[in-house]
Amino acid sequence: MILELLAVAVALMLLLWGIGKIPLSYNLRNLTVRWKTTLMTALAFTAVIALLTVMMAFVGGMKKMTEGTGRPDNVLVLSDGATDEVISNLPIGDLSEIENLPEVARAEGRPLASREAFMVAIQSAPTPSGGRPKRRILQLRGIEDPRLTAWIHDLELLPGGSWFSEAGVQEAPADGNNGNTPAPMIQAVLGEGVARELGRDRTAEQLAAANNPDRLDVGDTFTLGDRTWIVVGVLDSADSIFNSEIWAKRSLAAAVFGKENYTTLVLRAKDAEAAKRLKTFLAEDYEKAALNPKVELDFYKDLSETSAQFSYAIGFLAIVMSIGGIFGVMNTMFAAVSQREGDIGVLRLLGFNRRQILVSFLLESLLIAMVGGLLGCAIGSLSDGWTASSVVGGHGSGKFIVLQLAVDAEIIATGILLSLSMGLLGGLLPALSAMRLRPLDALR
Amino acid sequence: MKYLRLIFRNIGRNPLRSSLTSLVTIVLVFVVTMVWSILWLLNIVTTEKSENFQAMVTERWSAPSHMPLSYAEVLGRGAARNPGDVKPLDSMTWQFYIGTLDPKNPSSKNVIFSIACDPDKIAAVKEGKFATMMDGLESLPDAQEAQVLADVAKLKDTPRGIIVGQNHLKTTNKRIGERFKLTGVSITKGLDLEFEIVGAFPPGRYDTMAVFNREYYNNELDAYPRTHNGQKHPLADRSLNLMVLKVADSAAFTRLASQIENSPELSNPAVRCETMASGLASMLEMFRDLIWAMRWMLAPACLATILLVIANAISISVRERRLELAVLKVLGFRPYQIMVLVLGESLLLGTGAGLISAALSYGVINWWMGGIAFPIGFFDRFMVPADAFWWGPVVGGLAALLGSFMPAWTARNVKVAEVFSKVA
Amino acid sequence: MNNPTNNDPIVRVHGVHKFFRRGSERLDVLNGVTLDVTEGEFLGLMGPSGSGKTTLLNLIAGLDKPSQGEVRVGDRLISSMSEGELAGWRTRNIGFIFQFYHLLPVLNAYENVELPLLLLPLSAAQRRQQVTTALELVGLSNRVRHRPGQLSGGEQQRVGIARAIVTDPTLIVADEPTGDLDAHSAKEILDLLCELRQTLGKTILLVTHDPRAAERTNRLMHLDKGLLVEQTDRE
Repeated sequence: MILELLAVAVALMLLLWGIGKIPLSYNLRNLTVRWKTTLMTALAFTAVIALLTVMMAFVGGMKKMTEGTGRPDNVLVLSDGATDEVISNLPIGDLSEIENLPEVARAEGRPLASREAFMVAIQSAPTPSGGRPKRRILQLRGIEDPRLTAWIHDLELLPGGSWFSEAGVQEAPADGNNGNTPAPMIQAVLGEGVARELGRDRTAEQLAAANNPDRLDVGDTFTLGDRTWIVVGVLDSADSIFNSEIWAKRSLAAAVFGKENYTTLVLRAKDAEAAKRLKTFLAEDYEKAALNPKVELDFYKDLSETSAQFSYAIGFLAIVMSIGGIFGVMNTMFAAVSQREGDIGVLRLLGFNRRQILVSFLLESLLIAMVGGLLGCAIGSLSDGWTASSVVGGHGSGKFIVLQLAVDAEIIATGILLSLSMGLLGGLLPALSAMRLRPLDALR
Repeated sequence: MKYLRLIFRNIGRNPLRSSLTSLVTIVLVFVVTMVWSILWLLNIVTTEKSENFQAMVTERWSAPSHMPLSYAEVLGRGAARNPGDVKPLDSMTWQFYIGTLDPKNPSSKNVIFSIACDPDKIAAVKEGKFATMMDGLESLPDAQEAQVLADVAKLKDTPRGIIVGQNHLKTTNKRIGERFKLTGVSITKGLDLEFEIVGAFPPGRYDTMAVFNREYYNNELDAYPRTHNGQKHPLADRSLNLMVLKVADSAAFTRLASQIENSPELSNPAVRCETMASGLASMLEMFRDLIWAMRWMLAPACLATILLVIANAISISVRERRLELAVLKVLGFRPYQIMVLVLGESLLLGTGAGLISAALSYGVINWWMGGIAFPIGFFDRFMVPADAFWWGPVVGGLAALLGSFMPAWTARNVKVAEVFSKVA
Repeated sequence: MNNPTNNDPIVRVHGVHKFFRRGSERLDVLNGVTLDVTEGEFLGLMGPSGSGKTTLLNLIAGLDKPSQGEVRVGDRLISSMSEGELAGWRTRNIGFIFQFYHLLPVLNAYENVELPLLLLPLSAAQRRQQVTTALELVGLSNRVRHRPGQLSGGEQQRVGIARAIVTDPTLIVADEPTGDLDAHSAKEILDLLCELRQTLGKTILLVTHDPRAAERTNRLMHLDKGLLVEQTDRE
């Protein structure tokens, strides 16, 4: 859609260029002669477009993440009334019956079902010296069989990692000082985003000794609750909401955070149709427990409401900030018109008509816009791949996510399109005033 | 000042350019004011106080915090076990209730966030003085204090009463004395409550906060199984979200915090006791990148744009006026006087536009938009503080000064001979 | 005369009145001017300021319309053409030379001369050919890449002349072409105009204050208070 619009805009510009008989070099030379004005006008465009590009990249990353999570053939079961996993509470006894429903796919004689306990944990983050104690909200998913859960969610480990063991713990190195045996460490698999987030806590010394300066990696430890946790694997999860989660053995996590029950049951149905049937059955006809089943894809779509809100905010800012670009270019072009009244007069005498004068001045303002906008897009594009955190979802049940800013063709196209529109709006009035000049008055 | 008339005349010379430049400044200072209004409040609430020290108790490891209501009694006495233990000077329970006016289509526009609490803690007269446990209410003007006290008295007399924020008067489209119904959402789904508005908080911090009697809320929680096949509401045993404690000073706070965090009565779940400011700061930590981007990207981009547009406008007018400036020099104006003339023009333009923008943002955001909708943590909407009245002119003026420095320098260095030779 | 000229006048001005309104006041500039110009003629128009000479020139060049009367150039009645038609017509039929040259400062000599050709359906090669010829004619072949700011007044005016002839127009109109030049440059420019007429058979209409310029024309007319008052025929 945006790309098509941009194509139309570029086609229109080429058309203008085609209609215009006044050589483009005339505009280019004038722009370079008044290079300070040109530069300042273009830079105003750059500031606006660069900022918008970064903001769009942020929303783009968020969208990619929420849309990249969830499968159409997975059904996510929460307890009735729970709109979010964190407030869901599934009584244990009912689950196996649901898992063995005919719609649920099976492999190696077992149903493809993942029992999960999602919890939000508070971590007292180590403080940089002098600062006040910080704490951090972390998303923790207690699961039973990491391989099965990962398979159902389409996730794999990054090279070098492994899943946590059946026991979910490993022995901590003995404390050299007093010979006490410390409590075993809980094995955890981290989403890549949360691994980066936790990696920020490391001191300079720890960083110097670290395997991976960007994030925690296999073998690194962190503290959460009253336990020490050890990273055994990192999920290859860049474009999914699981990027911000910590996975561990449910029984261990539950003990630390006091969450007795499962919150979530994820079922892989035989296909998307079966998923819909399963969802309907569980919602309407299943009588043993009141449940709130959702096709996984739809569940995560709800989270993208947040990116829609961000998009509105960006739209508002785009409009407001555009005024800076529009009025700036208007100032410049009005000055250019009054500066070049003589030129306009001569051109008209030589036989150039009003339309060609209009086109020439419009093209000039579009050129400024194009240069400023492209530079803005280029600067904004530097944000591609930046890591940023945010909260998605609302009403007290938001998820804290770590995402990567993503600049794509559509964002660049939007940026260029916006700057061209600003150039057009800002250039139109001065160009019209140039067009209206009577040749004889202009030469006087 | 004798130049002032000259400066005014120069601004009026090209009214179109002056207006366009001012409009850019007005609009972009508006955005900067919005950003700074948000940062301003966040800064205030996360700054540690020296007196009227408040502590906040929440669940230690899990979020959102849900503590058993029975904790309220233990916390109320500061979990004091031994003689000599510190006791809080006062305490307040916070039980969150989230409900929507439009259950079919709940959205941020119709969801009301409210707190069930003990009305006496909102405001009371203690030892002849106005006392409150709500941060920000302690420094109200007398008339507003009296109003809050009157509203609280009415709340105590009205079991289903509610004191709402100024914003809710708009979202519910109800007036004081009228009733409305909320359908519970999120954690309080299944609890539908009916309210009668008995008063409204004075404009400011509590524009989006509503408070009502905790008795009403707890009775409804208790009654829930009767209408739900005997099943308890998921919140039944975990309905205390937060407890606010008041202590004398930071030394007392440190001791109190250790008493509470180590109390065996408060171990399942474990709790955390921190200062209010620190607690809110931690909560905002989730939004740190957003806040960072507003502070270090959005506001600077606006300032840079203002600067560029002003610099451009002033340099255009200097260029157009080279001949005139040369004439002034011939007449005996000193270079610095020429510079003052140019700087003065842009300063006046920037300061004026900044002031207009400040007044406009104050009016439009506070009265017309009902605050900046920016839901983060406890905060939902932000109002423009009166301080904006100096931010605006200062920001506009500074941007104008910076932006016009180069053109002013060019003007100062206009070479008379050169200008005249070009004209001749 | 080398060129055989037919006897039909190339410009016919018949009973032309022109007045301007300034508020409620009516300002009569031309009060019934009738004038024929034959092809190949070098006609001078003299007169005191405000006598209407520039106004008459503008009417003939299709820049303005008479309040009353007719103006014909070639076979076209230009006093009844629309503004759009006039613009296109001017490009092909009129070459302008101005007192202050009116070159576009950011374009070099070559580009300034090429400007009117851009409006005609010519290939780039044809344009290059014509521009080069015109610049050779005015003796500026060695300064084609210079911008107006880098040229002397006389040189700038030559560029102006090259621009006026590059489209091979029916009529060249020159409004005080020497008004801004020193005596030496002025003479060179007038020589050039005479040469154009003699070698190319151009019809030239010259408005001037300058008696030295007036001397070079082959017919001189005086305008006073909007009327043609005197004719000096030199040939």
